[in-house]
Amino acid sequence: MKKFMAMFLASTLLLAGCGNESGENAVTSADAVEKYGSDTLKLYNWGEYMGENLISDFEKQFGVKVNVEYFDSNEAMYTKLQSGEAYDVLVPSDYMIERLKAENMLQPLDHALLPNMSNLVKGIQSLPYDEGNQYSVPYFWGSVGIVYNHNNVDPDVVEEQGYEILRNTDYKGKIYIYDSERDSFMMALKALGYSMNTEDEKEIQQAYEWLLDMNNTMEPVYVTDEVIDGMITGTKDIAVVYSGDATNILAENPDMSFWMPEEGTNLWSDAMVIPANAPNAKLAHEFINYVLTDEASMGNSEYVGYASSNQAVLDELSNGIFAENEAYLPRMDYEKDEVFVDNQTLKKKLAELWIKVKATK
Amino acid sequence: MRQFRSMIYPYIVWLAVMVVVPMLMILLYAFTKEGNDVASIKFSLENFTRFFHDAVFIDVLKRSLIIAVATTVLCVILGYPIAYAIATHSERGRMFWILMITLPTWINMLVRTYAWVGILQDDGLFNRILGLFGIEPIKLMYTTFAVVLGMVYNFIPFMILQIHTSLAKMDKSLIDAAGDLGANRFQTFWRITFPLSLPGVLSGITLVFLPAVSSFFIPKLLGGGQYVLIGNVIETQFITSGDWNFGSAISLIMAIIIILSMYLTRKVDTDPTANGRGE
Repeated sequence: MKKFMAMFLASTLLLAGCGNESGENAVTSADAVEKYGSDTLKLYNWGEYMGENLISDFEKQFGVKVNVEYFDSNEAMYTKLQSGEAYDVLVPSDYMIERLKAENMLQPLDHALLPNMSNLVKGIQSLPYDEGNQYSVPYFWGSVGIVYNHNNVDPDVVEEQGYEILRNTDYKGKIYIYDSERDSFMMALKALGYSMNTEDEKEIQQAYEWLLDMNNTMEPVYVTDEVIDGMITGTKDIAVVYSGDATNILAENPDMSFWMPEEGTNLWSDAMVIPANAPNAKLAHEFINYVLTDEASMGNSEYVGYASSNQAVLDELSNGIFAENEAYLPRMDYEKDEVFVDNQTLKKKLAELWIKVKATK
Repeated sequence: MRQFRSMIYPYIVWLAVMVVVPMLMILLYAFTKEGNDVASIKFSLENFTRFFHDAVFIDVLKRSLIIAVATTVLCVILGYPIAYAIATHSERGRMFWILMITLPTWINMLVRTYAWVGILQDDGLFNRILGLFGIEPIKLMYTTFAVVLGMVYNFIPFMILQIHTSLAKMDKSLIDAAGDLGANRFQTFWRITFPLSLPGVLSGITLVFLPAVSSFFIPKLLGGGQYVLIGNVIETQFITSGDWNFGSAISLIMAIIIILSMYLTRKVDTDPTANGRGE
């Protein structure tokens, strides 16, 4: 279904593209060099995070060449940047943007070059990590919730227990846990009723013990992207996943349901930024502006399943093909939901505690 | 010959830049703390005490060594007969079989390991075949079995090639001589062939043990995130928590363990009484 829709969309876009080209001369790389100073854009994005035709359409429309590299964690991306690699556009998450900003690794955006920012969803603009969107433009956003097989797990139990269900030994050997210190501690801290940004030693210790107990009693499997395939094939019954991945799982496997725990969750957003050392900031602005168009946003969100930062697309998809999919549209304005705050010392500490949880047999 | 000597200088420079400098940096990081800038250096042994005072890390180290030793032993047990069988073939037959052994290594290791995920997972190839015979699926993924299997599969070519090389260059007339002197086939193997192949076995052990003890993506893929080996701990320090100092310290500890084990293997190699000649 998803593939079909993507193909349909691609063909309509292609037609639209043809219409344009017959009207005016095709844009060549020479035009691009004249306009932007170079015809190459270096993009560093998450894997599996773009519509199938995003890059090729952008290349065609602007006569440029896009080199894409992929990362699988904000930290891996940061390490690569530190090694001196230069990119034009990055798509890090909220807390990482906060860090890059603090370390002067980003350049302020020229909003005059980004007219399509008016398409943005109001609720995800000017978030605390970047007031006034001076440095970043949201790409995708979402939350973290519980995907479960409603044939094997009673929805009432999930809704009543929330994250605690991950310590319910009725489901021993049936759970996936997302393998990152950030998300696992979020879950534990929320289950205990604390803030996920807590610096309180006692609360962190309790969360550590919560996770240790879960590790020792539940035989969990810790995975990252493998969770998507695992839940689509129904290998396990319960998993903690990002909302966009949940959208995909629910679309492919009708036995799965999604629940956003009442204890609160991590409300996150990934946003496009231009590094301070970007070789081609002008073209980078053009790309960011292009991603915000209805066509490009539709292609992205439709194909990847994450909530769009484009209001029109979000409305259309959440009332259209994802109308039955409770994971697509993230919960907004719920007081217990939080955004991660960048805190290096805390992070190191959680990383060490997390590897200890996993290594405990 | 003399005029060619100057040609080794590029290699010396290469070695210095690509091997010696990074090693020195690891050394520097391991004995300092805080920050990735070389500018603010504070010498400290804290990274090492942190590692050795933590039972969890010691457990991880033990587990890694056990897995690596198990992998190496299995590679010898499985690899030796294969290498022996190949060595008995004619020149052309040997070329063919060696090609067959090395062929899979042309594909990236990561891809090959992913293929095992498809075979071993709960609804994977293996369990589907069992299903055809009405047998209940067996849990194979995320087990020690899967991790050791993945390691043996990936590293056994190194073992086979090493053993094969020393078997192939062995002087065959020694075997005839042993036969003439009345040794049976087992005695010939145990007293002639095996001792002469030992250098190959030993270098095979080194080549298998080294990557096995530090591998992090095989346990991650086939063992799941809960299968933490020392390579995974090091990876976390560099990638996730950004604590390069602690990561370097663990790397250094591993390097010392590896150098020690290589020294011991060398010792076995040069010590004739330990060579199984049993005179």
